[in-house]
Amino acid sequence: MAPQEPRAGEAPAASPAAGGRQVWRRLLARRTVLAAGLVIVLLALIAAAAPLLSAIEGQDPTSFHNDLLDSAAGGVPTGSFGGVSAEHWLGVEPGTGRDVFARLVHGARISLLVAVGATLVQVTIGVLLGLAAGLGSRLLDQLIGNTTEVMLALPSLVFAISLMAIVPSDFPRPLLLTLVIGLLGWGGTSRLVRAQTLSLKQLDYVAAARLAGAGRWRIARRELLPSLAAPVITYAAVLLPSNVIGEAGLSFLGVGVKPPTSSWGQMLSGATTWFRADPMYVLLPSALLFATVLAFTVLGDAVRTELDPRAASRLRVGTARGADGPTADGSGGPTPTGPGPSNAAEEATA
Amino acid sequence: MTRFLLRKAVGMLGVLLVLSLVVYAVFYIAPGDPAQLACGEKCSPAQVAQVRERLGLDAPVYLQYAHFLQGLVAGRDFSAGTGLLHCQAPCLGISYRSGEQVTDMIAARLPVTASLALGAMVVWLILGVGTGLLSALRRGRLSERLLTALTLAGNSVPVFVIGLVLLIVFCAQLQWLPFPTYVPLTEDPQQWFWGLLLPWISLALIESAKYARLTRSSMLETLADDHIRTFRAYGVSERHLVTRHALRGALTPVIALTAMDLGALFGSAVLTESLFGLPGLGKLLVSSVSLIDLPTVVGLTLVTGFFVVLANVIADVLYAVSDRRVVLT
Amino acid sequence: MSRSTFTPRRLAAATVTVALVVGVAACGPKADGGGSGSKDAAPQQGGTLTVLNQNPQDQFDPARLYTSGGGNVPSLVFRTLTTRNRVDGAAGTKVVPDLATDTGTPSEGATVWTYHLKDGLKYEDGSPITTADVKYGIERSFAPELSGGAPFLRDWLVGAADYQGPYKDDRGLAAIETPDEKTIVFHLNKPEGDFPYLATQTQFAPVPKAKDTGTKYQDHPVSSGPYQVVKNENDGAHLVLKRNPNWSSATDDQRKAYPDTIDVQSGLDPAVINQRLSASTGPDAAAVTTDTNLGPSELAQVKDDKALASRVGTGHFGYVNYLAFNTKVKPFDDPKVRQAIAYAINRTSVVNAAGGSSLAEAATTYLPNQEAFGYTPYDPFPAGATGNPEKAKELLKEAGYPDGLTITLTHSSETGKGYGPNLATAVQDGLKAAGITVQLDVLDGTKYSKTIHTVGTEPGLFLAGWGADWPSGGPFLAPIFDGRQIVTDGYNFNSAQLNDPSVNDEIDQINKITDHAEAAKRWGALDKRIGEQALTIPLFHPVYKRLSGKDVRNIVISDWTGVLDISQVAVK
Repeated sequence: MAPQEPRAGEAPAASPAAGGRQVWRRLLARRTVLAAGLVIVLLALIAAAAPLLSAIEGQDPTSFHNDLLDSAAGGVPTGSFGGVSAEHWLGVEPGTGRDVFARLVHGARISLLVAVGATLVQVTIGVLLGLAAGLGSRLLDQLIGNTTEVMLALPSLVFAISLMAIVPSDFPRPLLLTLVIGLLGWGGTSRLVRAQTLSLKQLDYVAAARLAGAGRWRIARRELLPSLAAPVITYAAVLLPSNVIGEAGLSFLGVGVKPPTSSWGQMLSGATTWFRADPMYVLLPSALLFATVLAFTVLGDAVRTELDPRAASRLRVGTARGADGPTADGSGGPTPTGPGPSNAAEEATA
Repeated sequence: MTRFLLRKAVGMLGVLLVLSLVVYAVFYIAPGDPAQLACGEKCSPAQVAQVRERLGLDAPVYLQYAHFLQGLVAGRDFSAGTGLLHCQAPCLGISYRSGEQVTDMIAARLPVTASLALGAMVVWLILGVGTGLLSALRRGRLSERLLTALTLAGNSVPVFVIGLVLLIVFCAQLQWLPFPTYVPLTEDPQQWFWGLLLPWISLALIESAKYARLTRSSMLETLADDHIRTFRAYGVSERHLVTRHALRGALTPVIALTAMDLGALFGSAVLTESLFGLPGLGKLLVSSVSLIDLPTVVGLTLVTGFFVVLANVIADVLYAVSDRRVVLT
Repeated sequence: MSRSTFTPRRLAAATVTVALVVGVAACGPKADGGGSGSKDAAPQQGGTLTVLNQNPQDQFDPARLYTSGGGNVPSLVFRTLTTRNRVDGAAGTKVVPDLATDTGTPSEGATVWTYHLKDGLKYEDGSPITTADVKYGIERSFAPELSGGAPFLRDWLVGAADYQGPYKDDRGLAAIETPDEKTIVFHLNKPEGDFPYLATQTQFAPVPKAKDTGTKYQDHPVSSGPYQVVKNENDGAHLVLKRNPNWSSATDDQRKAYPDTIDVQSGLDPAVINQRLSASTGPDAAAVTTDTNLGPSELAQVKDDKALASRVGTGHFGYVNYLAFNTKVKPFDDPKVRQAIAYAINRTSVVNAAGGSSLAEAATTYLPNQEAFGYTPYDPFPAGATGNPEKAKELLKEAGYPDGLTITLTHSSETGKGYGPNLATAVQDGLKAAGITVQLDVLDGTKYSKTIHTVGTEPGLFLAGWGADWPSGGPFLAPIFDGRQIVTDGYNFNSAQLNDPSVNDEIDQINKITDHAEAAKRWGALDKRIGEQALTIPLFHPVYKRLSGKDVRNIVISDWTGVLDISQVAVK
């Protein structure tokens, strides 16, 4: 019960270095996962190489082309499929004639950057506060719990809109969007981490480490973080796509990126009314958004299936004697598969 | 249990109090002059000063907050010009914009949002839980894949796209459905239903993928549980196993998540409400924020926050009821 | 509705009104519009007209409404001393008597205006309308509880500047005399030939003192018009108006009032409004909108559909979208720089960004292109359709910027408005050719409005717009260019802070003229004179294109409001 070696009690799977390679191999063996991974890599490449891609096409995302529009008909692109031509591979934007391909690839940068950044912010804050709540004193736990509750109860839109108004207008907008979505959406992660921490705390190897005189911080870093990685990564894979959509929602409400910058959300927010007159203009950003969300979701689910059963069974051993708090069990609370309603980004899309 | 609920109630009050403070603080920092907005752009500085005085905005911010709290507990009086307008406790103040009592404005809109949220919940539970169960029990079949793809598609496109596309297709082109409007349930249940059907579906499409995934994983986990395995070893039929034993455990997280989503929807179904022209709480909230109508914003925040906090308590209780290992303290 | 910008709040309040009132209209006898197939049948009484709008009528107190010509929906309930002429096109910019027997008798150099009420005027409860009620209605618009109306009454009436309304001050306004029940006399502090136009605003609607309930009055205002309010839900989101039995067409030759019921549904999404009108099914067949244009995307659709195209009404409301300079900010203090930008502007991009040539007409004059305003064509810095970058570069060189120039353009975050991101990017792209790099500074709606209207914070270059309170050059030019209207401690609309004694003097001279046509000529000449200083760059005059349901008949669109007049519409 109290082995001298602090790590003796650790289940083999909890060591990410050893298990990671196995999981990785198994993931790669599944076709859907491979496809999802490829989509994500492709999207990242497109985003990274956006200027190059539009240069190859010979266009840029901000130049107007009035000659390609039918001004009397509301500025709809002349020509079929939204003005597709050898010069404009995916047509031009109604009302401005800006190149859709160039705007899409440049938009990928902003959309992905904001979504990834916001997810990192959410996860970082969520993990830190969740750990602190799980390991700290009862008072600290309660304080953090109540703060989380206030964050969850606060209509995030109110905050998003007011923040945009308060922050000076020369503050970089993508960074602001990242922070707004990130700062408003850590509630779910923090609850998840707290619950996991509480149950992990009961486990033998953690108890052993504590008995061996390890400090709280050391326990958090050495013993808990590695085991938290699986559920948190899985949860992040769910957060990320909803952050992509969150950016779109904020754009729709007029608090998105600054013109003339493009993002998928900015493109979509103005596009829907063109559904009948210029369907291409709606379908293209929608399809990209769909592909992104789908790829991350598939990947997230796969990672979970590979990582979670073991994490779950390990947890179950630890909870046999009853855990502290209502969401201690692996299947309880905001489980890795279902984010709570805590995600600001998601709210903005409802 | 009583002690738990009591403690939660006190915590809830605290959370709501902090919420109102936070909103006051944010609006204090935010630019814009509510008095100028209420008066109109063309108002002279002297007129704006009169309006500021009437709205109580000439007092220091902490006094304004104190007046607000006083109104909550004891009620307040406002000048209506011809006389006094008494605002009964719990008084959330009067709207800077319309001069209406905030409690009246919220009361008028609550049924709209409640209709939207509850109806959408029914649809997403049918769609999401159905898909989730199907994919847990019949993995790999065509029907399962189709449903999963549908829910995922719904989850990955913003509601303002889905909603408008559905509307154009089903109401304008095919004319299978009437254009959405809100008719109170008490006035005409049939019109209420048809008028809200499309908003329900749009909102549910967004939520259902989450529920499908949660149901699926929760079901698989429960089916792998020791006691289910034991039952199976004893030869209990799979059908009996699922319906009698696994379902109950597997649906607990689903119900808990439902409670929380429902709570959150009361203040956040803005895009759906705007698109379909439903005069709900979320829509009022967004317009009030941009018009710096502080009493309305605070009032709405308190009401929607109340639902969120309440939903969390319900979720906690649900776990406790379904899982005897959890002790509420 | 002269607002240089709509703040969101105004979106709820004034815009609504304005939009309602001023919505869309047809320029000239309407070429299109009218119910398809039923155009020739004489309009009949009866039926229910549905109005589908974005902006709720969340203010319905005649004191608080900011209207042009009395408003559209409000004008069904409130009669005023005078009103707009409800006919198509340019003739619709005339002011005509409503409660009064004529449009007013000026005396003492247009500083005193006298009106007499018609005989047999009654409220919805059958009680008689008196001039004391008109006076009371105006007085209560001064109460801080009922703020929101136009500033003219306060500016023009003798001793009104500090008046706080009848609730605080029961002595009333001495500037308004009512020698008997039928006569009312207004004393102004300066000559105002446009007073008959002001008397169309809802503040001139009678309010019976005994029925006044202060801020609650708007729930059920006492009707003097053909309809009375029977339902007012959710802050004006849903209004139902029914025929007022005590209104008589014998005293009102302006309002036709064909439908028995008018059902105003608002808070709707613009795309949904247009889809509903285009589908025109059920009650929507008898529906119109007073505040929602066809969007550019819907125009593309209408182009291919003749039946639909026949249901589109075209209107012109006096409005201009322009670039405003603050000449106190470098480098815009240099006229050469302003002229260079004027030469470089690409109005084709701008028009396309505003929805294309069907929704916007490129403008080189500040005054709207209508005779009533005194429209005098001029183009001091001819840029052609797409700009003259060579001339612009030349001027920049002379101004000391041979290698181009970087400037900041401030705009609002509100999309779909004349000062939002679409227009800003169009201006930005257009100026590139002339070597002018434009950086965009976007502000959220409320902040934008406050920033551009505060003397200390006003940016050097920003997008703005101005609409007509009534079809005359005065309320279009004076607030923007009269040096005495510079406000340093509140909202300022004279964005160039022009204070030219000769301009101020000319404004005073024209205000004395009571012959509208003669005054219009002088306003036009003044506009040209100011335009040559490049203090603003006019971009375009918007055009209204609005759908109506297939059973809607007798569509009248005046150039005063630019939208179809609800009081004329029939559904049978």
